[in-house]
Amino acid sequence: MPSSSSLCRAAAARHCCFMETWCRVQLCIYLFAGISLMLFLCTGSCVHSSSLSSEAQSCNQDFSSNNSTTSSFCSCKRFIMESYHGEYGSLLDSDFQDFIARGLPSGLCGMLPDDLPRLSVLQQNLIGEGSHRLLSSSIRLNIEPKSLTKLPTHSCEVILIERLPIGVFADPFELQHLLQRGVFNNIAVFGDTNLELPSFLSNHSVVEVHMDVGPNLLISHKNGPYINIALPLHARYPPLDASGYSRVKFGAPDVFMCCSIEGNSPNQSCLFSPTGDGAELGSGEIVWRIPAGRKTHAEVVSIVTFISAIVSTLFIVLASIFYSKAIPYKTLKQS
Amino acid sequence: MLENYGNSQNSQNPCQLKAMTSVNIRALLLFSAIFRVILILYGEWQDSHMEVRYTDVDYLVFSDAASLMASGDSPYKRTTYRYSPLLAFLLIPNAIIHRSWGKFLFSASDLLVGFFIRSILKLRRVPENLCTYSVMIWLLNPFTFTIGTRGNCEPIVCAVILWIIICLMNGNVLQAAFWYGLVVHFRIYPIIYALPIILILDSNFFHSGQKPFLSYWTAGHGKTTQSSTDATYHYNMQNVLTKIFTRQRVMFGLVSAIVFFSFTGLFFYLYGWAFLHEALLYHLTRTDPRHNFSVYFYHIYLHYEKEISVLEKFISFLPQFMVQLVLISCFAQDFPICFFVQTVAFVAFNKVITAQYFVWFFCLLPLILPWSSMKLKWEGICCFSVWMGAQIHWLMWGYMLEFKGKNVFLQLWMASLVFLAANTLVLIMIIRHHRYSPVFRHLELKSSKNSVKLE
Repeated sequence: MPSSSSLCRAAAARHCCFMETWCRVQLCIYLFAGISLMLFLCTGSCVHSSSLSSEAQSCNQDFSSNNSTTSSFCSCKRFIMESYHGEYGSLLDSDFQDFIARGLPSGLCGMLPDDLPRLSVLQQNLIGEGSHRLLSSSIRLNIEPKSLTKLPTHSCEVILIERLPIGVFADPFELQHLLQRGVFNNIAVFGDTNLELPSFLSNHSVVEVHMDVGPNLLISHKNGPYINIALPLHARYPPLDASGYSRVKFGAPDVFMCCSIEGNSPNQSCLFSPTGDGAELGSGEIVWRIPAGRKTHAEVVSIVTFISAIVSTLFIVLASIFYSKAIPYKTLKQS
Repeated sequence: MLENYGNSQNSQNPCQLKAMTSVNIRALLLFSAIFRVILILYGEWQDSHMEVRYTDVDYLVFSDAASLMASGDSPYKRTTYRYSPLLAFLLIPNAIIHRSWGKFLFSASDLLVGFFIRSILKLRRVPENLCTYSVMIWLLNPFTFTIGTRGNCEPIVCAVILWIIICLMNGNVLQAAFWYGLVVHFRIYPIIYALPIILILDSNFFHSGQKPFLSYWTAGHGKTTQSSTDATYHYNMQNVLTKIFTRQRVMFGLVSAIVFFSFTGLFFYLYGWAFLHEALLYHLTRTDPRHNFSVYFYHIYLHYEKEISVLEKFISFLPQFMVQLVLISCFAQDFPICFFVQTVAFVAFNKVITAQYFVWFFCLLPLILPWSSMKLKWEGICCFSVWMGAQIHWLMWGYMLEFKGKNVFLQLWMASLVFLAANTLVLIMIIRHHRYSPVFRHLELKSSKNSVKLE
C-alpha cells in the first residue's frame, strides 16, 4: 500500500504538469487573440483589393427596332433581363411583352429571317415531389437544310427566360454552384430572391438561363439540336388555404437564341426569337401543389400550444422545487 | 452511474491507474483529432463529387462573408449572414489559404472543449477514469464531430463558455468578464447565464487576491455535505438580500458590459445599421414560420399575416421567463447543472429550434455526469431513447412535408409537442438524479471542512 506522502507527491506532480500544459494553452490563446486583433485593425484600414465583379460590358444598349442595323447586342454574355430591368422597374408580364415587341437586333446575323433556326418543340415538366423540384424544359430547334451551310461560323446559345410565379423561387447560390460545375453557360436570377419570406410577402422573380448550342450540334443532329434545361426550384410557404394545398401555375417561358459570328469582331452577335408557326408549345399547364396551413386550425393550435407550454413549465418548476436540495423545505422534512 | 466505476477503481494501485488513464486521455484526444481531420477531408471529397453537399449551407455563407471582408467590403452584403463580423474575420484565411480553414478551426475548438472539460473536472478532483468517460461523451458524440467538421461555428462558443467557467473557478473574475462580454456579443444566448454568475460571485467565496476554494467530488451521498449546503444556502440568501453590490459583482458587470458595448459600437461604426439588424435584432425578433422543432412554429405560420399583439408576445415569453427564474434560484450555486438545465429549458421553449442549438447543452453535459446518480441501465438509456425517438418522429413528419409534399402540418405540430414533452421529461429526470453540490466553499469554513475530508 503506497504511503500517503508518496501519494501527495504524485498528486502534486500531476497537478504541476497539468498547470504547465494549461499555462501553455492560455498563452497560445492570448497570442492568437492579440495577433488577430492587430490583423483585424490592419484589414479595416487597408486599401481595397479587387473584389469579385462580373464582366461589365460597356456597349450600347439600344433595343429600339428602328435602329436595329446600327445598334448591337454586344455579346451573348449580357443578360436580356439586365437591360429590361434597367428600363422597367417591375416584372409584370405586360411590361415584358412590350419590351419584346419592340424588337431585337436580328439583322446582324447576316441571314434571312426564314433561314434562322425555328423552335419546333417546347415542353416543360415539373420533376420531383415536395418543396424542391426541377423544372425541366426541353427545346427542339428546326433548321432548314439549305441554311445549314451558312451556319458553321456561328456559335449559338439558347436563352430561356422563365418568369417564376409568386410562391416559388430559385436559390441564386445553388445556381452559382451549378454554373461552376459547367451545367449552364450562364445563369442569373432577377427580382426578389429572399429565400426566407413566405409568399404573400414576396414578389416575382425571373430566371434567365443561357445554354450553349455550339456549332457542331447544329450540323450533327438531323432534326436540329435538342436542348434540355433543368432548373432547381423551391417552394415558399404559401398563404393559408382551406383545402390544405395552394396551386401555383407556371406560364410559358420565353425562348431566344443568341448567335455570335466568329471571325468578325467579337462584339458582333445577333439575337432573335425562334418561335415558329408550327411549334408545339407546352404540354399543358404546369401546376405545383404546395402544402398550406388551414385557417380552421388556428384557434385550436394556439390554445393547445400555450397550454402545453404552461403545463411543461409547471412540471419543470415543481420538479426543481421538489428535487432541489437547496430549498429549506427539504431540511424541514428530514429534521 | 459513473460513481460505481469510481468506487471500484479506487482499490487498484493508484500509480498504475494514473499511468493508464493519463495515456488514455492523450490517446483519446489524438484519435479524435485524426478522426476529425479524416472527416474534413471526406467532406471536401463529397462536396466536389456528389450532388448532396457535406458542408453546411451556413459555412458557405461565412466563407462568402469572409471573402467580402477580405476585399474590404461589409460582410453583410452577403444575404443570410447573421453573425458578428468577428466570425467572418476568423475565416478570412478561407479566402487566402484554403477554404477548409474554418472547418479546421472549428474542429480544433471542439478538441479544446474536450480539454477544458477535463480541466474543469480535474479542478474538482474527479477521479481520472470518470474524467475520461465524461470527455469521451463529448469527443465521441456523433453530433459533436459532425457539427465541427461540417463547418458550424458553435464549438467556438462552447469553448469560450467553458473557459469562462475555468476562469471563475480560478478566481479570475476580470478575465471571465472579458470573455463573457465577448461571447454575448458573438451569440446572444449566454445572457441567460448572467444571473447565476452574479449570484456565485459572492463575497464569501471570492476575496481579492485569493483563489476561491472549490468543493471536491465525493462518491456516494454524504449527509454532511447535504446539511452544510443547506447552511450555505441560507447564508447566501441572506447575503443576496443585504449585500448585492459586492466588488466582484460590480467589476464583472462593468467589464462585461464595457466589452460588449465596445465591440458592438466598433462594428456599428464600421458596418452601420446592417450589422445591428442582421447580427442582433434579427435574433431577438426572429419569428420564422418555416417548420422547425419548436412548438410555436405552426402558431406563427397560421398568424403570420396578422400582427402579433403585445399580450400574445407576453404569453409566449412567460413560460421561458418563469422556468429560467425558478431554475436559477434552485441551482445557482451548483452552476454547471444550473447552466445545463437553463440551456435545455431555453432551447426547448424558444420560438425557433434548430439542431445546432443542441450543442449548447451537449458541451455542459459532461460537467454534470460525475454528480449524477442515474444508472446507464435503464434510466440513462430510457432518457436517451425518449429524446432521440421524439426527434426522429418529428424528422419523419418533416420529411413527409418537405420532400413528399403532403400536408402534414397538424401531425408535424403534434410531433413538436411530443418533442417538448420529451425535453421536459429528460430535464426532470436529470434534475431528480443530480446530486446538488455547490462549486464554491466558504473561505471561513474551509479549515473545518478539510478535517472532515481527510479521513
